[in-house]
Amino acid sequence: MSIMEYNGGSVIAMVGKDCVAIASDLRLGSQALGISSNFQRIFPVTDRVYVGLPGLATDVTTLRERFRYRVNMYTIKEEREIEPETFAHLVSSTLYQHRFGPYFIEPVMAGLSKTPSGGFKPFIAATDLIGCLNFAKDFVVAGTASAKLFGVAEGLWEPDLEAEDLFETISQTLLNAVDRDAYSGWGAIVHVITKDKIITRTLKGRMD
Amino acid sequence: MARRYDSRTTIFSPEGRLYQIEYAMEAISHAGTVLGVLAKDGVVLAAEKRVTGKLLDLSSAKEGGGYGGSGEKMFLLNSNVIGGVAGITSDANSLVNYARTVAQQHLLQYNDDIPVELLAQRLCDMKQGYTQFGGLRPFGVSLLYAGYDPHYHFQLYHSDPSGNYSGWKATCIGANNGTAQSLLKQEYKDDLGVEEAIGLVLRVMSKTMDSTTLGSEKLEFAVLTYDEAAKAPKAKIYKPAEIDALLRAEGLAKKDEDTEMK
Amino acid sequence: MNSILQRYSGSNAGGLSKSTIDEDNDFSDAMWGSEAGFGTLAKGVPGFVVPSVPDPAAFLRLHTDDHADPSCRIKIQHGTTTLAFRFQGGVIVAVDSRATAGSYVASGTVKKVIEINPYLLGTMAGGAADCQYWETYLGMHCRLHELRNRERISVSAASKYLSNLVYSYKGMGLSMGTMICGWDKTGPAVFYVDSDGTRLKGDLFSVGSGSTFAYGVLDQGYRWDLTDEEAQELGRRSIYAAGHRDAFSGNTCNLYHVKEDGWKFIGNYDITKLHYEGPGDVAGSPGHGYGYDMRVEGRSSANPPEAPAQA
Repeated sequence: MSIMEYNGGSVIAMVGKDCVAIASDLRLGSQALGISSNFQRIFPVTDRVYVGLPGLATDVTTLRERFRYRVNMYTIKEEREIEPETFAHLVSSTLYQHRFGPYFIEPVMAGLSKTPSGGFKPFIAATDLIGCLNFAKDFVVAGTASAKLFGVAEGLWEPDLEAEDLFETISQTLLNAVDRDAYSGWGAIVHVITKDKIITRTLKGRMD
Repeated sequence: MARRYDSRTTIFSPEGRLYQIEYAMEAISHAGTVLGVLAKDGVVLAAEKRVTGKLLDLSSAKEGGGYGGSGEKMFLLNSNVIGGVAGITSDANSLVNYARTVAQQHLLQYNDDIPVELLAQRLCDMKQGYTQFGGLRPFGVSLLYAGYDPHYHFQLYHSDPSGNYSGWKATCIGANNGTAQSLLKQEYKDDLGVEEAIGLVLRVMSKTMDSTTLGSEKLEFAVLTYDEAAKAPKAKIYKPAEIDALLRAEGLAKKDEDTEMK
Repeated sequence: MNSILQRYSGSNAGGLSKSTIDEDNDFSDAMWGSEAGFGTLAKGVPGFVVPSVPDPAAFLRLHTDDHADPSCRIKIQHGTTTLAFRFQGGVIVAVDSRATAGSYVASGTVKKVIEINPYLLGTMAGGAADCQYWETYLGMHCRLHELRNRERISVSAASKYLSNLVYSYKGMGLSMGTMICGWDKTGPAVFYVDSDGTRLKGDLFSVGSGSTFAYGVLDQGYRWDLTDEEAQELGRRSIYAAGHRDAFSGNTCNLYHVKEDGWKFIGNYDITKLHYEGPGDVAGSPGHGYGYDMRVEGRSSANPPEAPAQA
């Protein structure tokens, strides 16, 4: 039995045209037993950065609070909101601090970063459980359904999707991938981050 | 011989006094005034800035993306506490950093904002340590804490270099604090609203400050209220333009002929 | 070289033919085909290729799936939910349709009820191939029994035949947990048979990783005098509960009803559809989804009933 599969759950993030999306299933399990169908594992960091924390549920809570601590200290000292790139390195360094006794979480981040000209640039990243950063240009996946998510996303994703098309793509990718994973599913939640709004929708999924 | 009992912080004089502590407090009574008033629906802080001059770069305070303030007297210690400092600015910065860390550690451990008194206590524990353990000088800083917590709602605390702290309805630290306190004693009324408190603070401030007129270049201002919609305390440290607008609204803005800082 | 193999094969457990060591020479494909795929079996004892080591059973125990040793190398899928119960109106047999390999859902359309003959059903839990092969083989012998004795085999005899058969392979890695269900002279009958050699007669069984969930619903709703409609609904509802809660069960529910004149396939139901909408317009349907949110609509703390108007 793998500790990474103890509670189940998966997260995916995708880049679109001037927007990003991050989505997760809602299952919390105890191995084969399904416990909850509304477990939150995606959290807002700022108005423009979200983080998803698939892995061991107890570490989801702990890491979320640790990130809040470090982001609050950053914000109050720097007197500005953290940029997604900076947050990714904050995540990475937090995880590597526990190199020899890691949190069993593989974070996925999605956000819009400010450009010098005042615009916004899509940003996604993921790390392994000890903080190795992966800056992808298309999509990142993690969790018990990661192998399946890679497969479906590879088939469905295309560049420069508008917000609503990106929503459709990430939703279909997630829903179909988790249907092939015993430890993920039981509904899903999707966040699409655009420069002037955040679209959050809860999806019905297979309940078995 | 006079040097025998005042060169060390941890040694009492024969009269039972700790001279270094008294000197630290003396230093504070020459620092810029900080004034706080507790109202039934908020807490108001105002402070007199001493570091001014036309070559001083104030751009970060004017348009900074942060929470306001020039970083000299007013600090957001946590989402529910504003601190006003009087004394040695570098010591104050160190204490502010400590306060923020303590507050965030509390949030991490208990998933609740730190109660205001507990935050004041934690700073005083540290300050007290420097009056007892050898080789170090005390912090040359007094603080006012304007805060809110669900247990006692709005609160105003004061702490001094000895590590003493106390709660107040209205108080003042720094230069001319005696004058300000007697004025507050005369004018303070129970059941004050936050709007009235703002007026009171500004009136007292205008009377105690050395300069004859009030303006954003010599004043810092902050208000802590409760946001009913967000169900959370709302800390607002005013930006220079907002201070000037407030002074104009209160009829305390400087006259046109006063152009000393232009 | 061959003599060494022959020597080793002499110590085979339980009636394994030594001729199978070099099966390509002894049996042609044509021979298999000519005897309906059971060429090696019809003669009497079945013959299988076994590892050419002194004690094949010990060797297999090391390498095949065994609940005593979860770290073994050859994994056989265990995730499943099957149930069968006896009642006044016959036997209800209900199963899910999910097949998993580790956490991967390999299939959602597996047939876990094996139609042995028009009067006998077997359920599938454990090794899919083991169940499929041996229950089909059992079907062959049930037919031979009919021809030889001019009457149908009893459920008891059929299940005993199977349990003796799997017992002879004990320790070689067979994995099955099955219910043999049917109707004979004694009326409706259900027997539980597994690869350890256990054989139990009973009114109500559930087998597989989701069995605890199915039992929960089943025990609560079971009575001998259930009507046909109530019994079918109970089977459906029990498999839904397991498909919902158990990660390794789900996708669809297959429902069978065995009566005096043989078994009848009642239907195939999507578990998610059962959750949100219920079984639809069928006998015994509650008229709404089985899922908690649907069941308690307007009656839960999150969604309370409207307060009566103030007088």
